[in-house]
Amino acid sequence: MPKVVVDAMAMQRALTRITYEIIERNKGVDDLVILGIKTRGVYLAQRIASRLQQLENVTVPVGALDVTPFRDDIDHDSENDDPKVSAADIDFSVEQKKVILVDDVLYTGRTIRAAMSAIMALGRPKSINLAVLVDRGHRELPIRADFVGKNIPSSQRERIKVSVTEIDDRDAVEIIKA
Amino acid sequence: MQSLTNLQKVLIIGSGPTEIGHETELDSATVQILTQFKKHGVRTLVIDNNPFSVALEEIQPTNMYIQAVTTPNVRHILEKDHPDALIATLGGLQGIRIAQELLENGDLGRYGVTLLGMPTSTLRQINNPADLNATLKEIHEPVIEAQVVQTTDEALGLVENIGFPLIVKPVAPRVDTNRTICENVDDMLTALNQGFQQSRFDQCTLERSVVGYKEVEMVAIRDAADTELLISGLENVDPIGIHSGDSIVVTPPQTLTDREYQDLRDATFRIATEFGIIGVLHVSFALNPANQHFYVTKLAPYFTRGVSLAARTVGYPVSLVTGALMLGQRLVDVKLPSQFTKQTAVMEPTSDHVTVRIPLWPFQEVPDADQHLDTAMKAVGSTIGIGRSVEEAMLKSVRSSQFSPRDVLPSVSNLTDGELISQLIHPLANRILVLIEALRRGYSPDELSELTKIDAFYFVKLQHLLTIERQIQEHPRDVEVLQRARYYGFGDGMIARIWDTDTATIRQLSAEAHIQPTYKMIEPTAGEFPEALSGYYSTFEYENESRALGDRTALVLGRGGNQLGPNSAAEYFTTEMLKQLKRAGYHTILMNTNPNAIGIAPEFSDKQYVDPIQLGDVLNVIQVEHPDIVIVPGNRHYLTRELKKLDLNLHVLPPDQETGEPAPKMATIGVSLFVHQQQKVAVGVMDMIAPGMNKALSQVTAFRMPAELPKAKRNNLVEQAKQAVSERQLTGMVQVLFAPKGDTKQLEVVGVRPTRLTEMAFLSKVTGINWVRMLTRQHIQTLDAAELAKITVDINSTRVALMNAAFPFRQLHVLNRPGSTDQEVGATIAFGSSEALTLSNLSDTEELDQIINRTI
Amino acid sequence: MAKRYLILEDGSAYAGEGFGAGATTSGEVIFNLNLLGYQETITDQIYHNQIIIFAQPAIGNVGINHDSYESILPTAKGMVVRDLTNISTNRLSKLSLDEFLRQHNIPGISGIDTRHLIRKLRTAGPMKGSIVDVADAHAFDQLNATVLTNRQVDQVATPKPYPNPDTGKNVVVIDFGLKHGILRQLSERRCNVTVLPWTASAQDVLNLDPDGVLLSTGPGSPLDLGTGVLDMIREVQAEIPLFAIGLGHELFALANGAKLTPLPVEYHGSGHPIRRIITNDILYATQGQGYAVVAKSIDRDRLITTYVDLINGTVQGLRHRDFPAFSVQFFADGAPGPHESRDLFDEFMEAMTSREG
Repeated sequence: MPKVVVDAMAMQRALTRITYEIIERNKGVDDLVILGIKTRGVYLAQRIASRLQQLENVTVPVGALDVTPFRDDIDHDSENDDPKVSAADIDFSVEQKKVILVDDVLYTGRTIRAAMSAIMALGRPKSINLAVLVDRGHRELPIRADFVGKNIPSSQRERIKVSVTEIDDRDAVEIIKA
Repeated sequence: MQSLTNLQKVLIIGSGPTEIGHETELDSATVQILTQFKKHGVRTLVIDNNPFSVALEEIQPTNMYIQAVTTPNVRHILEKDHPDALIATLGGLQGIRIAQELLENGDLGRYGVTLLGMPTSTLRQINNPADLNATLKEIHEPVIEAQVVQTTDEALGLVENIGFPLIVKPVAPRVDTNRTICENVDDMLTALNQGFQQSRFDQCTLERSVVGYKEVEMVAIRDAADTELLISGLENVDPIGIHSGDSIVVTPPQTLTDREYQDLRDATFRIATEFGIIGVLHVSFALNPANQHFYVTKLAPYFTRGVSLAARTVGYPVSLVTGALMLGQRLVDVKLPSQFTKQTAVMEPTSDHVTVRIPLWPFQEVPDADQHLDTAMKAVGSTIGIGRSVEEAMLKSVRSSQFSPRDVLPSVSNLTDGELISQLIHPLANRILVLIEALRRGYSPDELSELTKIDAFYFVKLQHLLTIERQIQEHPRDVEVLQRARYYGFGDGMIARIWDTDTATIRQLSAEAHIQPTYKMIEPTAGEFPEALSGYYSTFEYENESRALGDRTALVLGRGGNQLGPNSAAEYFTTEMLKQLKRAGYHTILMNTNPNAIGIAPEFSDKQYVDPIQLGDVLNVIQVEHPDIVIVPGNRHYLTRELKKLDLNLHVLPPDQETGEPAPKMATIGVSLFVHQQQKVAVGVMDMIAPGMNKALSQVTAFRMPAELPKAKRNNLVEQAKQAVSERQLTGMVQVLFAPKGDTKQLEVVGVRPTRLTEMAFLSKVTGINWVRMLTRQHIQTLDAAELAKITVDINSTRVALMNAAFPFRQLHVLNRPGSTDQEVGATIAFGSSEALTLSNLSDTEELDQIINRTI
Repeated sequence: MAKRYLILEDGSAYAGEGFGAGATTSGEVIFNLNLLGYQETITDQIYHNQIIIFAQPAIGNVGINHDSYESILPTAKGMVVRDLTNISTNRLSKLSLDEFLRQHNIPGISGIDTRHLIRKLRTAGPMKGSIVDVADAHAFDQLNATVLTNRQVDQVATPKPYPNPDTGKNVVVIDFGLKHGILRQLSERRCNVTVLPWTASAQDVLNLDPDGVLLSTGPGSPLDLGTGVLDMIREVQAEIPLFAIGLGHELFALANGAKLTPLPVEYHGSGHPIRRIITNDILYATQGQGYAVVAKSIDRDRLITTYVDLINGTVQGLRHRDFPAFSVQFFADGAPGPHESRDLFDEFMEAMTSREG
């Protein structure tokens, strides 16, 4: 039985808080760009951008990073091989920008590392900050998130499933026992 | 949800004939949604076969499908007219069932029709308790565990776990049925047998009974952006075990703490969000008074009598707003007419008055029905009382519900103590009078609460009314007591009776002591904003907010709550009359206590008073408004007589159906004439059909026009009719009755009478000329003889129309039989060729039903 | 019951029936539009020195209940209602509203055209009034001579610290006239609460090493409390998460450079749609305010406006740009009134958790 650990309201709240924390940490939204990791990270990135738009009346560019060769299934981080991330469809420059990298779940850290490489290949940002909805632990690389929706310490045998209304018809984070 | 901004054509599933479970409230909501759609340039199609529908008067004939409201007929329209969207929430349970069938058999997808008001996943779940409960459990709403069974054996296996009393309910019933409470295995087996037959899936559910819990209903509205607000809560005075339609209802809830109320509000919103409702949602709860735990018992994401009451009592324009939401607007964007303070649509209403609704039952007309109030609804109408205290609202509503010509409450003091106790436990239609009698006999509020499961609070309130009654008795003509009595809702007639005097004396005393009514506006902000709405009720306080409406005003007295007989036709009449008065330049004022009345909508009347239609209250309104004309309904003889004594320009409309002339025993043909000065316009020659063996005039409940006669014969009857009318010097809408002379086929005139209200509606629908308006114009002297002369009605039309009365026998669980005119609950109408509408056997009611409800 | 009068500063007098205490009382007359929750309302300390007119006409219907107190010792000056029911419904059927008011020496008057008064006050603005036995010239003289104190917070807030122990986050609540709903919400989230007097310094607060601080609701004008409290807020907000409600919100605004203005008419109700700006959604909450933050005075480099009332345009929420410090004008605890803003307490909890990293 999947167990809901973050319901729709809590997810909204987490994104709201992350948004405020981004403003706090960056002293505003100047030079900010947001990059979401496909698939769900992109929707989360768009939601953060729309919140910034509501609050500050500023349009922050949002781009998508594509993780290959793996599908966007929920435990792509569990693969031992390093994933490849492509930044092909980002139509703005990251040069001297403050990049907020957004993903749904932070696990081994390998996807994030690949994402950072992809970003670096595009240009030289001023900074990269990481925002994740869920940090489930079990890092294999020295990577930590700057903005965390919820820490969900989990066993490696469990799976964390993130659903977003845009594609899953609802907002939720669930733990599925293996 | 897809974008709705480009909707061009919408089909509304109409509600069909009035019946137990819904009356004119659905038609009323339809009219308002039509108005909203028209404003936005959306073409609206309606399918309905209710000849008394006002909505059908409001739309172009090309958008009107006068057909039986059935799945095949609706499918046919989808196929032929290709509407973009479908509204099923205005057709009662039947509308929902039809939409479900269209969804299940793939028609919605096939014809690319969007369902408005809710996602199809929600539509699928309505009235399917197992599915509903699964979803509700998912969002942690407490539900009564219902177990689905397909056989009696399965049920017997579950009994031990559930325990008696338990409830049996058919899954996805074909008809508006209800839960049956079973005390033992025998009850259960009977209920299951019936339930399996009523279920579309041959299934029933079993569940734990919550009889005796408090029943609270919440009415909310939600938009596509998930903005949700509560329109009002409704508290059932009677506990679970009595259908909410048969219960006295008080709004806003009086015996809930804020915490309980807010918990139910929260639950309502969670449900609205989960089910993706766009528009209204009506949720029922069972609340355990001992520990505040509650269960969700019913979920109605469509227009209901509860929605209508909630909106009426707080003054929130629910239908207008829903219309806008269905077109994709958000609550914050809804623009309301200028009478409303800006943003009223998105303000959560609050209230500074109390409304009490009392149901009206048909037991006088159908005496063989089981008169006990239980889980199956039996009421056919209701009246409301509004006041600034529970006592005042309660008493006003009781006074309106008793139809006492002189405003005196009937007494049930002749009951023995045994009968009294039995009726306290097993309530009958006179419930409220029995409760009062029990207090009179010295039962305490706590004892009565124990016996009836009604909150003791209400007995404290009724007891207070009895205290005041005693003070009235003990202090004749004491103005302080008079002040208190009027303050708490006693009518002038009641006080006059106790003081053994007449209404005039009471009014004189009141005037001298400056005990005058003050009218308060019904508006949704409790005085926070200067709303300019048009609904008022009386109380006796400091400030009067109602000013005379102005020049050229017409005061129309409504008929009060719906009953059996020509009532929904009367509602149609009153509304069309109001429209005509308005067109003639009158400012119209309507007095009515029927929360479902159509005329109460601001489109039809400029001002409304929700107060008992009793002499004292009427005179109070006249004193404020000084109307140029006063229109009193024909069934109010005492009131008419008393008003005639005054210097008023009084008209009796709808016309009195009783005339001096004795009615003939029977008639087979009716010829209707509109008689104005020297002119007699032939309106129609119709067959008067009395289905069944008894052919008495009172059994004539079906009509066909033109009558199945040779053309020459019809013309000849018209001439005879004109002759008969000339001899009697009648005017207005007259019907000449014919019957065979002796055993011959020769027809002779057997009587003349005013055309009945039902037939007047029928004639208007068939001829395309609104005879109600004609009659109104005649009364207010705006009827132009020259114009009338130009009107020709084809009395020999080849298009045939058939109207058939609907009766409440099935819902009252009495033997189905041909009914009489005073048992009618509604009617259906059909058009077609003479072959399609020919009856082979005039006595066969089933054949009649089949023909009139046929698939086109 | 005795005939008594409500008299107003403008010279008007309304006859009614007395209930509750028989004392003569004077106060500022305001109205409350909530549908239910008279017990929560009458026990809320924001009504200190005020006479409350209830829009809902039927009052007293559910007696007095143990879980509906917003303070133990209510200090409102009076209740004006249309219709009173004297009934007890708690388990021992011991306490009706009438008896409760007697115990606390608060007079009430019933049989008043409360709708008329609300219609009058909504345009006339603030007015003093008295509940008296005789509405003669003397009574009006007394009323006109009455000077209402501006030391409301001192009168109702705790003078000494006290704990409300539990095992969760350590939260300091600064009491300006705290409503219990706030403590209930913190209790539900297992917070280990210490309530401090409003005169506490930043050092007093930080010495307790709390995870967060909450500035409570309270009565009166935020402008009457001096600058010490503003210094405290400025220091504390830079160190730990801060959540402020009602009067607390007004002080938070002042501390961060915004200005306040008295409303032409105090607003007490829960029907106004409030827009949560960040998500552009709408919620309802009980509001009880005599002052509002002046939108134009907000320094956008320090504060972000987070909530706004769509009816009167007032600022309903603020957040500091640089710190996890936020405030709302409305009563997020929802007692009485809607519950949908209660998740602000969760937001506060998460701010405290997030801080730990």
